[in-house]
Amino acid sequence: MRIQFGALVVAAVTATGLPAAAQVPGVTADEIAIGSFGPLTGQVYMYGQLAMNGIDVVFEKVNKEGGVHGRKLRLVREDDRCNPEAAIAAVRRLAFSHQVFAILGGACTASTIAAKPEIVRSAVPTVINVAVGDSISHPPEKNIYSVVAVASLESYAQLKLAQDRGAKKIAVVAQHDAWGNPRYAPLMEAFKKANLQPLVDEKIAEDANDATPQVLRLRAAGADAVIMLARPKAAAVLLRDAIKIGYKPDWWIGQSAVMDLDAFEKQVGIPGALSNFVTISYIKYQPSDPEMAEWRERLKALFPYDNLSPFNLAGISSALVLVEALKRTGPNLTRDGFLEAMGSIKGFQPEMLPGPINCNPPLSHQCNRGFAWVRKTATGVETIAATVVD
Amino acid sequence: MLAYLVASGITTGSLYALIALGVVVLYKAAGVVNFSHGEQIMLGGYFAYSFYLLAHLGYVPAALLAVMGTAAIGLLTFYVGFRPLIGQGMMSVLLATLGLSFLLKGIARYFWGGAGDYLAFPPLLSPQPVDLGIIAVLPQQLVVLAASGLILVSFALFFNLTRMGKWMQAAAGNIKAARLLGVPVERVFLWTFAVGAALSGAAAVLMAPLTLLYPDMGFLLFVKGFAAAVLGGINSLRGAVVGGLLMGVIEQLGAGYIHTGLQELSAFLIIMLMLIVMPRGLLGGPEARRV
Repeated sequence: MRIQFGALVVAAVTATGLPAAAQVPGVTADEIAIGSFGPLTGQVYMYGQLAMNGIDVVFEKVNKEGGVHGRKLRLVREDDRCNPEAAIAAVRRLAFSHQVFAILGGACTASTIAAKPEIVRSAVPTVINVAVGDSISHPPEKNIYSVVAVASLESYAQLKLAQDRGAKKIAVVAQHDAWGNPRYAPLMEAFKKANLQPLVDEKIAEDANDATPQVLRLRAAGADAVIMLARPKAAAVLLRDAIKIGYKPDWWIGQSAVMDLDAFEKQVGIPGALSNFVTISYIKYQPSDPEMAEWRERLKALFPYDNLSPFNLAGISSALVLVEALKRTGPNLTRDGFLEAMGSIKGFQPEMLPGPINCNPPLSHQCNRGFAWVRKTATGVETIAATVVD
Repeated sequence: MLAYLVASGITTGSLYALIALGVVVLYKAAGVVNFSHGEQIMLGGYFAYSFYLLAHLGYVPAALLAVMGTAAIGLLTFYVGFRPLIGQGMMSVLLATLGLSFLLKGIARYFWGGAGDYLAFPPLLSPQPVDLGIIAVLPQQLVVLAASGLILVSFALFFNLTRMGKWMQAAAGNIKAARLLGVPVERVFLWTFAVGAALSGAAAVLMAPLTLLYPDMGFLLFVKGFAAAVLGGINSLRGAVVGGLLMGVIEQLGAGYIHTGLQELSAFLIIMLMLIVMPRGLLGGPEARRV
């Protein structure tokens, strides 16, 4: 009788799959908890909050369709305010208090780099979706993958675009801080590899209220293309002062921190100021494109105050990759199984990304090598080209 | 190049002068430095933004309301960060105002920071530059210069011609003697906090169309205003104006002719150099003895 009862328990447990699930943090028979950290408040809240809103939109869609192998997805958000100490604390809370199964987040490069040792120690599978610093995902760590094109790709691409556009006198204006340095170093490497030197190499502070000296030095040097490593605040001040002084290079070349060109145009505040500005975007389509109609509607339904932005789309694309990895892992979800599944993803193409997701462990956990070039036109934002780096 | 740098330096310098004046007024009358001064500037900018762009008031009413709102924050600072600590020493007031600065930043982040990133205040006049012969300037820069000059003159008149202004001078000279002569010292302190904050509000209102608003913008502006006050003499009102203008011009010339990194560093360098070489500043007098 005792044997029969034991067999019954074993059979019941095996049928529901509960014992395996119970041992995996963040996983129950009907739910998977996914954590995310990034700024939910502050001036760069869009890197975190908007991306997380995008993730929730995908989770909502997946849950309505029955979940992944019967389990619903739940997002747990932590605000790191783009602050390194707060990011470390956020990762600890996600790993040990909330006990999430995996993390899909990391929005600011400096804070995510600071939190990396904690991520590695916690062994929580982590998919980086907005922060672009190379050293977050290279050299590869077993539990960290990145699905956003990294900073060095952007820096190399900025120089290449200037050359492709025929620029002979290429200047650099850069923020030399925790955000700017991970981009500046590869940019200088790119110059070196191309046997070039920046015509002038100027600094700008993120808090700058005036960029007259920088613009005057650019004008005096006669730069015909200016590579900008600056967040929206400093970039807007630079463009305003260039117009004030009447300096108009052939190209201002930005990077993904300034990819929301509608917002950036408002920040510059001068009509036509972006006529010679081109920048990198993670996203191939613009939020207003017909191809994005489904996501626009889904976002509006879930977050009525959001208008679809490139940062929402970055969150959406990364969540699609995560869901694909969860599907590939199968119903017996384990962290090792999930990491193996992440590593197996090749040629997976979320519709809004410029190129496919190709993970190549153990050599590389940087799975996205695609980006788009966008510019503002009189009628809206236009995608000029989508590129995938070999 | 020189003309552009000087013109730009004078424009930003006039704003630093307003900030420095707020620092000096408070230091002279109450003997304290308010570490939430930068956050008062930041809130002034957000008030102007809200009244002008969200409540759709005209610029002048929005500016006046923003200055009044900032003065109210000054009163709050008096009641929270100064009055309960009278007699507790300067360090207590410094720490209280430092704490208040974090609180004000948090409030700004709650109301404005999460709802928009860098908020843009649209240019009031045409954003296209005006050619003035050897240089071109933005019309907004001319507005800043004219308005700063007007505010500085109005402040000088208030300080020299009104009864409260004279009481402030008396309290700044010798508090005990002023008290013996019947000057309501606590009311003077109250007014000093309000006037200092109103000056920072005025700077914010003028600066808003030239920059972008975000909750952390105040600290650097405070440091620059403080450096201007140290340069001119922390107990000299004229020194605050001279220091502000010089600070703006030095920052631009250093960045333009030596290295753009100096734009960020110049305020800190000036504070260090002045404290070593000329602690009283360019126009500062000997420290008044407080009894």
